[in-house]
Amino acid sequence: MTQKKNKTNGKGTIFWQVAGVSVFALILVLVKELGLVSTSVLLILQYVGIYSILALGINIVNGYLGVFSLAHAGFMAIGAYVSATLSKYVFMNDWMFIISIFLGGIAALLVGILVAIPSFKTKGDYLAIITLGFSLIIQSVLQNANFVGASQGLNNIPKFTNIYWVFGCLGVAVILVDRFIHSKYGRSLKAIREDQTASMLVSVDVRRIKTIAFALSAFLIGVSGALISHLLGYTSPSAYGFTNIVDGLVMVYLGGMGSIIGSIFGSTAWQLIVQLLKNLGTWRWVVGGGLLVVVMIFLPKGVFGYMELKDIGHKVKGFFNGSKHREDQ
Amino acid sequence: MDTEKIISLKNVCMYFGGIKAIDDVTFDIDKGRLFGIIGPNGAGKTTIFNVITGMYIPTSGEIYYRDQQLNRLMPHTITGNGIARTFQNIRLFEDQTVLDNLKIANFSHTKYGLLDVFLQSRKFKQEEERIEETSMEILKFLKLERLANKRAGSLPYGEQRRVEIARALSCNPEVLLLDEPAAGMNPAEIRDLNQLILNIRDHYDLTIMVVEHQMRLVMEICEEILVLNFGKKLAIGQPEQLKTNPVVLEAYLGKTS
Repeated sequence: MTQKKNKTNGKGTIFWQVAGVSVFALILVLVKELGLVSTSVLLILQYVGIYSILALGINIVNGYLGVFSLAHAGFMAIGAYVSATLSKYVFMNDWMFIISIFLGGIAALLVGILVAIPSFKTKGDYLAIITLGFSLIIQSVLQNANFVGASQGLNNIPKFTNIYWVFGCLGVAVILVDRFIHSKYGRSLKAIREDQTASMLVSVDVRRIKTIAFALSAFLIGVSGALISHLLGYTSPSAYGFTNIVDGLVMVYLGGMGSIIGSIFGSTAWQLIVQLLKNLGTWRWVVGGGLLVVVMIFLPKGVFGYMELKDIGHKVKGFFNGSKHREDQ
Repeated sequence: MDTEKIISLKNVCMYFGGIKAIDDVTFDIDKGRLFGIIGPNGAGKTTIFNVITGMYIPTSGEIYYRDQQLNRLMPHTITGNGIARTFQNIRLFEDQTVLDNLKIANFSHTKYGLLDVFLQSRKFKQEEERIEETSMEILKFLKLERLANKRAGSLPYGEQRRVEIARALSCNPEVLLLDEPAAGMNPAEIRDLNQLILNIRDHYDLTIMVVEHQMRLVMEICEEILVLNFGKKLAIGQPEQLKTNPVVLEAYLGKTS
């Protein structure tokens, strides 16, 4: 009986996925081509999309795997610089942007594999410090590397990023992460988060899983870096420092640990907050740090902590169906 | 075939600084045996499990699983090769459902790669279906199927113990190590557990090692028993022989009776 149910469910979800994607694509076309919204709103939408990819990437390691990593600024910088250099000098055509994005992600992925190595033995605060060190090393290398403009950074990057690229990449990212999480790999991530030793003793190859998690995470973060550099048309080392690290954490911890919808919600909410506080100037970073503190105290798992929309649907249903049903569940 | 050795320890020592947790222990286990390890607190019973499963690397000596030496292998490799265990203090993945706990334990013998996952290939779907089926079968065998979708941490103690056994079975083992499975159980529950252990052994064709305090469980079901004291092998033999062995009586049974 359970199997039959599963199969119909499978078909149902595919239908809804296709329907959702088509509706979303239609909205994008309307928004972009018919000029339904102003350019600044369009820009914010692209930020939302790009930061959602970033948050998804961070969430794989910090949320699903439960390792506190601060390496995302470094990965983002690598993705941004590699892709920007490629599209400035090698892949100069519009349609070749996909190659730059992909290679930017791959560059970050390869470095991500290296960053995974310290996570085999260290954890908690120690790993946070190691990964923070990594991000800062990348930043200072870029500040001193003359061939990528040192502290001036790269200018005149072709502005290939548009709303289609952004949401196309986000769509692929969501699908990849969703499939990854609902496989033996995703289950192992959660197992390692709960009890690493017990995971090993039920045959989970902890090192391999951690490496894969860091690699996928770094890839997505690299892609977000590629998109942002081609959106702004310039990039510089100062964009990949503490502010970037805190931004990324706020989005993930606000939206929800170990949750796809949480990542998207977190980055959307954070962009809205940033835009609303624009008049505060530098002070908005104070609000950002303050928000992180408040979220950690009152909502330690974030708004959608370890939940997706359908889980919340179940909960709401359970609530309205009364206590009898809940006990059965 | 009756006397095929499946686990062999040869002069195994495990020292932690000056403490000799296991000191020169040698024994063999025949395939299909129900093998018990007893001894007072701190005798090194659990340490034996820990060196077999690769959690500790023994200070000296050799451990064999069939012809394969286990000393330097990683715990996940050893478990994947067919030695699964449970824990003295239950270590389930509490926030996951019971079914997911079992699915996680299928890791090493799930035959799909990342590409299959991302492309949702036919192989991926078949393997996922197979995992779900075998997991449900194991749950049914242990009469836990109604708990499949419950959060493991929400279950009462006794059921958590059974889920842990189910999870160990999901590793598809040939040897099952049970670390104090009867801890905290009353005599009626222990009787059920005895029956369960025998059933599991016969149904899955396993070799089972049990570390236990409860003499009742060990003496009733084990076919061969190793007695440890302060990390040293005191005696090995059938329960009946040990009951009359003066050394054992003095070190262990003498105290309790």
